[in-house]
Amino acid sequence: MPEPVKPLSLRREGDGLRIEWADGTRTFATWRTIRAACPCASCLDEKAKPPDPFRVLKPSELTAGPPAPVAMKPVGHYAYQITWNDGHDTGIYTLEALRKLS
Amino acid sequence: MTPQMPGQKLSLPGVKHVLAVASGKGGVGKSTVAANLAVALHMYGQRVGLMDADIYGPSVPIMFGLGLVDQTRTPFPIERFGLKLMSMGFLVDPNQAVIWRGPKVAQAVGSFLAQVPWGDLDFLVIDLPPGTGDAQLTLSQQAPLTGAIVVTTPQDVALIDARKGVKMFQEVRVPVLGVIENMSYLEDAAGTRTAIFGKGGGQRLATEAGVPLLGELPIDPRVGACGDAGEPIVRRHPDSPVSKAFVEIAQKVVNEMLKQPTTAALPEVQL
Repeated sequence: MPEPVKPLSLRREGDGLRIEWADGTRTFATWRTIRAACPCASCLDEKAKPPDPFRVLKPSELTAGPPAPVAMKPVGHYAYQITWNDGHDTGIYTLEALRKLS
Repeated sequence: MTPQMPGQKLSLPGVKHVLAVASGKGGVGKSTVAANLAVALHMYGQRVGLMDADIYGPSVPIMFGLGLVDQTRTPFPIERFGLKLMSMGFLVDPNQAVIWRGPKVAQAVGSFLAQVPWGDLDFLVIDLPPGTGDAQLTLSQQAPLTGAIVVTTPQDVALIDARKGVKMFQEVRVPVLGVIENMSYLEDAAGTRTAIFGKGGGQRLATEAGVPLLGELPIDPRVGACGDAGEPIVRRHPDSPVSKAFVEIAQKVVNEMLKQPTTAALPEVQL
């Protein structure tokens, strides 16, 4: 298994996340893209279903506005966990996933 | 003990290396290997702790001649043979079953790591339960694991699960230091070796994973007997071939650890 590239720095830039990687690559993804790519079980389950036109937004989703992170913490040596402004925090984004997002 | 919150990152400032001893399959002698390796590392001059992360089936107490203790009076970790020990078996009566769902297991493992004053150690050896479940995930996500060792027996049925163990550590970026093959062969008085469970399985797994085979441990009935009697064979019979193999493995582990680039923590995000 090849040694995966590690991030050197991660920071908020405008409405997204800028990552500088150890191999010199710089990636950027908007929070909206990152939120849409949430890899947690309930989001994956939601995405697998056909869209429900009558879905009612939860009050927390309504008041939160566009997706923005409240916290983003490293998980072990392999991932980051994001807590979103709507309270959702079960997504653990692996480094590979973050790199592919830009 | 207050539960450790999931997702909370732990730090063990006094511990140089946190080493997980794992296997995919149960019954391959992982706890025996972890206990003897911990003693061998101590004999090699290292300051060692041994944490039993097998919450449902703790075996560290019996292997060190200990049992249930009065937790209001006993300071943890418990010291024995120069090692610092922690296990669920110190807290729960051996005749009682721990019937818990995953999140409770994760909490207990987190508490053992974060709330037990391990002090200054060169190695904290963690005896993992078999499989790739809650205890493993908690440790991979919250503990500063510096390396993992996968224990297997030579036959295919053990290898198939050991492979999953290796895969898990690779997924969570914990360096696999190597494979230990247990119960490799039985040697009779004339020196003839019989490979009871087949031959070369550990080497195959190590080659596949691109990691070293740290050692092959012979079958010796005294290994189990010493474990049951509360004194690991490495200490009781240091001159037996299996004890020598353990000391060699300990030496390799120390060397491998020195070779490993320090797995620096991931950078914090500037939000």
